[in-house]
Amino acid sequence: MNGPIQKDVGITFSKVNKWYGALHVLRDIDLTVHDGEKVVVCGPSGSGKSTLIRCINRLEEYQSGEIKVGGIAVDSNRRNIDQIRRRVGMVFQNFNLYPHLTILDNCTLAQRWVRGFSRSEAEERAMHYLKRVRIPDQASKYPSQLSGGQQQRVAIARSLCMSPEIMLFDEPTSALDPELVREVLDTMAELAGEGMTMICVTHEMGFAKQVADRVIFMDDGAIVEIAEPRDFFDNPKEERTRKFLSQILH
Amino acid sequence: MPAFDWGYIWEAVPDLLDGLVVTIYVSFLAILLSLTVGAIGCALRVADHKILSFPVAGYVEFIRGTPFLVQVFFIFYGLPSLGLTLSAFWSGVVALTVWASVFHIESFRAGLSAVGKEIQNASASLGLRSWQHTLFVVLPIATRSALPSSLNTIVATIKNSAYLQAIGLVELTFVAVDRIAYDFRSTEMFLAICLIYLAVVLLVSAAGHRLERRLNRPYVGR
Repeated sequence: MNGPIQKDVGITFSKVNKWYGALHVLRDIDLTVHDGEKVVVCGPSGSGKSTLIRCINRLEEYQSGEIKVGGIAVDSNRRNIDQIRRRVGMVFQNFNLYPHLTILDNCTLAQRWVRGFSRSEAEERAMHYLKRVRIPDQASKYPSQLSGGQQQRVAIARSLCMSPEIMLFDEPTSALDPELVREVLDTMAELAGEGMTMICVTHEMGFAKQVADRVIFMDDGAIVEIAEPRDFFDNPKEERTRKFLSQILH
Repeated sequence: MPAFDWGYIWEAVPDLLDGLVVTIYVSFLAILLSLTVGAIGCALRVADHKILSFPVAGYVEFIRGTPFLVQVFFIFYGLPSLGLTLSAFWSGVVALTVWASVFHIESFRAGLSAVGKEIQNASASLGLRSWQHTLFVVLPIATRSALPSSLNTIVATIKNSAYLQAIGLVELTFVAVDRIAYDFRSTEMFLAICLIYLAVVLLVSAAGHRLERRLNRPYVGR
């Protein structure tokens, strides 16, 4: 497992551990996500799913083991962090749009200050991605004037404006009214169809079946089971996975 | 008791305007300085290190817990014996600045807490440095949230400048009280300066509310 194969590796976790004080929130995480792969992470609340993906772009630190993104170690080195964040986009449960900026400006701020695009270049790129998430007509509005589903699609567009190779989704539909979930999942599925590497923390099992290459089940900070969706849903090996699935699938 | 005399007020207008100029001047300087001290104080107040935040917290409690007039007297009459002598004008500027700054510190702090921690993760994931996040995200949002209560403090700074007549600063209230000592036209004079203060305050409030609406139009949305 070295030489040219290494280039293919998107994200690797090796024996990653994290504690909040005495609380052990990630336990010996070993995981490889290849370029172009779509992975869905599920598990009960407090199982460490969000923490797991937040370690990838160092929104959270970890205490032992190693994470690499495209061969670059995720550590305290500022240059490494910058390079990784350039490659990795993230979408959050609560959208986290900038409330004081228009939709267009939400999408151009980081382009201009991080990537150094001119205003007109940045706006052109922003409009391109806003069209892709099908809300170009909202560009001059403010986040509070949009529905939750629209806001989340803006957040996706804002991330795509930075040309990431990997997208992380942290429960992107959990804060949405049920009738708005579909439009966000459709946008994500389209993105998946275009070959984006994706890690999604979600309880949308329909989405997992439709899009995921692998499904990861976490509990109590550890990865309990990793399987292809068909095996995961039809034939889970672990008792805890079965219990979880019976709870969320009713 | 002589009848109310509008003519008397009219005669006093030039003197009152001289006083008003001093009122505006002292208030203007104090407002600018207190906003500056407020911003710096707030930055220290929310710092992670107790060495920085604790003195500011103490300063806020002390100033908020003592009467403004006593603070004015302390600065004008008390500081000289500690080796610092200030004119009535500069004592007034310092006293108003010290008093107003603590309220600005608190309203800025409330503004900051309105920004929320999660949005910082969005900025970080987009690759923004923390200074960029502070400049382009935190400050604009915090300013909008802090504006209404800072506007209150600004208006109160103008009104509190009236206390400075007690240390002999020839501002609007001083002029009125001085004339009353000679002519005993207290009704006319106090009504006159009330109207003048009100006019200034209404003007400042109107400007402030305009700014508030302008900034909040996008933010509130509907």
